[in-house]
Amino acid sequence: MDVRAQVSMVFHLDKCIGCHTCSVACKNVWTDRAGAEYMWWNNVETKPGTGYPSRWEDQNNYQGGWEVTDGRELKLKSQNKASAFFKMLFNPPQPTMKDYYEPWSYKYDDLFSSPLGDDQPTAVPISQITGEPIDIKSGPNWDDDLSGSPVHAENDVNLDELSEEERNALFEVERISMMYLPRICNHCANPSCVASCPSGALYKRGEDGIVLVNQDKCRGWRACVTACPYKKVYYNWKTGKSEKCILCYPRLETGQAPACFHSCVGRIRYLGVLLYDAERVTEAMKAPAQSLVEAQRSALLDPNDPEVQAAARANGVSEEFLHAAIHSPVYKYVMEWKLALPLHVEFRTMPMLFYVPPLLPVMGKNDASLYEPTGEGFFTALENARMPIKFLSKLFSAGNESVVEASLRKLMAVRYYMRSLEINDVDSVKIRQVMHEAGLTEEEAKAIHALTAIPTVDDRFVLPPIQRERAIEPTCSPEVCKGCTGFGEKEPPHRGA
Amino acid sequence: MLEAFLFVGLPYAAVIICVAGSIYRFKTDPYSYSALSSQFLESKKLRWGSVPWHLGIGVVFIGHLGAFLLPGPWRAVLTQPHFLYAVEMAGLASALFCALGLLILIIRRLTTANLQPVTTLMDLVVLFLLFVQVILGIMTAVNYRWGAQWATQTTTPYLWSLLLFRPDPSFIAGMPLLVKAHLAGAWLIVLAVPFSRLVHMFSLPLEYLFRPPQKVVWNAPPTHGALKQTADKEMTRRLFLKGAIGLIGGGVLLGVGVLEELYLFFRGPRLSKEEEGHLLDVTQKKLKKNADEKALELERLRDESIFVAKLSDLSPTKGKYFIDYQMKPALAFLGADGLPQLLSAKCTHLGCTVGSEVNAQGRLLCPCHVSFFDIRNGVPDAGSPAKDPLPKIGWILVNDRGETVLGRGPNGELQGTPRDHPKETLSVHIAKKYEGWTA
Repeated sequence: MDVRAQVSMVFHLDKCIGCHTCSVACKNVWTDRAGAEYMWWNNVETKPGTGYPSRWEDQNNYQGGWEVTDGRELKLKSQNKASAFFKMLFNPPQPTMKDYYEPWSYKYDDLFSSPLGDDQPTAVPISQITGEPIDIKSGPNWDDDLSGSPVHAENDVNLDELSEEERNALFEVERISMMYLPRICNHCANPSCVASCPSGALYKRGEDGIVLVNQDKCRGWRACVTACPYKKVYYNWKTGKSEKCILCYPRLETGQAPACFHSCVGRIRYLGVLLYDAERVTEAMKAPAQSLVEAQRSALLDPNDPEVQAAARANGVSEEFLHAAIHSPVYKYVMEWKLALPLHVEFRTMPMLFYVPPLLPVMGKNDASLYEPTGEGFFTALENARMPIKFLSKLFSAGNESVVEASLRKLMAVRYYMRSLEINDVDSVKIRQVMHEAGLTEEEAKAIHALTAIPTVDDRFVLPPIQRERAIEPTCSPEVCKGCTGFGEKEPPHRGA
Repeated sequence: MLEAFLFVGLPYAAVIICVAGSIYRFKTDPYSYSALSSQFLESKKLRWGSVPWHLGIGVVFIGHLGAFLLPGPWRAVLTQPHFLYAVEMAGLASALFCALGLLILIIRRLTTANLQPVTTLMDLVVLFLLFVQVILGIMTAVNYRWGAQWATQTTTPYLWSLLLFRPDPSFIAGMPLLVKAHLAGAWLIVLAVPFSRLVHMFSLPLEYLFRPPQKVVWNAPPTHGALKQTADKEMTRRLFLKGAIGLIGGGVLLGVGVLEELYLFFRGPRLSKEEEGHLLDVTQKKLKKNADEKALELERLRDESIFVAKLSDLSPTKGKYFIDYQMKPALAFLGADGLPQLLSAKCTHLGCTVGSEVNAQGRLLCPCHVSFFDIRNGVPDAGSPAKDPLPKIGWILVNDRGETVLGRGPNGELQGTPRDHPKETLSVHIAKKYEGWTA
């Protein structure tokens, strides 16, 4: 057993209101620089929708992630060792600016310096690449809230396998629905970006599993941009280096939650330590698509198990880290309650960011110009869910509907149970039946409710003390070390000659 | 003069600046090492520019390298006309690929609006240099066919002469202007490397072929447990790989040298009978001269005394050089007492021959490190680099009948009576019996 600790995350989608505060916080802290204007290390997408970059989930086009070969080996979809060298010259599946969008600003100065005239002066949009006026064609969240749009939503890759009927139902005006999907780097346990980097610039930090790009080692071959199936490694066109979400490690190292977590209005984000068995990762990710979620769970370890604790200590995991792992909200959501699921686990990178799928609003019906909840009670049966289970399963369980259903049933049961406690207008037989079907005890329901609805900041973020300064101080000055830690612009961004 | 600069000065300057500059840049600013891809901003034209250029220049480079590293085998293989045709065709086709690719890259750079913010002056200079160089190469290949063959006797020995620090531009002195321009262009490009994006060629990540897919870096390396073993294994592996690559590289270089020598021994150029005869002749003459010299030396050593000069020819201010019994230079003067004064002329500092002129202070000068010696006793001035006096040498005076009339012995004592001999009849000799004293 090779126990490693990973700072991992849970996003509770039922609580996301799609306000983009996380994206703005991240942008202001990290990517408000030349060459990085187009990057959104954190972005929020509307589902169904095409996302950012456009149709990023379509790996037939973008070639991200891993695939299992006939010989039962995991191999990168984008390249092998030999073709990697040819793809340095030109990387066909690498997304270009058109797939993201052309970043722009406005000529704000015109508002102040325009000569006196009959018309109100306007600030025309200008490209942040060329500085010339542009006609804006798309943006980072261009399909925001456009769930019925034939241009965006209907082109969602996850809808490909839905039947005509299901599709029509999804876009029917009265039951049309959407959800938000905030995305950051998954800091995968089996990262394809790391495996693809010819220069060996990308790496996973041993202590906390954060995936970083060593800016001094990166040579701009762009293999990582293609290999990351989530398109969360970005190429800085100005500096000729790749950049990605760094999970705000400078904040983590000083005991603060990452900027996007900290600023989240809906408080949907949880951060905690997971222990996993590095020896089991590759084998788990070879599992058939249907059982990948289960396989990933099998590689995660129970921090309360004395055997695991002993192995962790033997591996140099500190007591503080172990303590954080035992109290990890992520472990509760992912392993104890099995509510949170990985996004697109079929990319086989073993993402360490988990999503609690959304239960979505109750079903409504326009009856005699009166819009009212449908059905017998306040809650809809899962079978009539607005968002087809099939669609959610494409996102969160590689198409295995039973996994998503199990999670949704539990969420539903918690609602029934809590309603019975607070309002008491539900039949107790019905409650017992729902709880039984979901496999939920009363204690669990209370705990889930507590961590979901009324958690404190310390419940949501159980940060381990990383104390990196202690590790580097004896060997080099932190200022010097900055360059070798994955994000370190010691100088203004410039392009080498 | 211009040729000496272009083909000796420039190459050395270019290579030194290229190597030292690239290393300096890597050590001080590794951040600036990047391929600086602009595929993100413009993709379509890049495909048709970058791919043909890089693949073409790869083939062309391997061809040039082959002719340079293994001229013997390369030439031997190319004596087969089919191979020669194939190599020439492949080279020319690749060069045309290069030119096409570069042309597309240049047009792309100049005409795409999105690329202007990432285009530096140096990018354009490099593109221009490379394009001119490729065109010069193509023109050479077309106008002076079979370059793959003739280069092994012209540019290859020239390059090797540079590499072995015996620069000899005469190998290419008679080459057409086109070829010279192509060579000079190559040195200019080498010179431009550390100042441009060309450094990315040193970033060719061969390590990727051997490394495991995942990479983990610890802030504090694990101090115990299974992880330490993994980390140690990784470190050992890296060290082993580095060592192995070094050894293999060294072995290959050595092997190339040995193979080249072996090949030349068995298959290399042969001398004609005439040349061989001439060579033997020269050797024989040299040997004979040596033998004569040795015989003379022996004869001298056999003599009881060796003539130095007539006493009347000696002067107190201008020494007369002679060779003593140890075959070392020595000087003879006329002393203040009217008798000869003989001194070794081998400077006691580092062995230069001391000058023969006596200056106004009665000193001899060794010109190498400016030691002054007193002519009377051979003692060096204080402050001279030489610390020991020049040894005095004994002598005898012989009259015209061959009788020794006077001598100065090992301890400086006079032997015989200083009688009044006519000065003209006496000559100065050094004598074997005083040999020990002169040492």
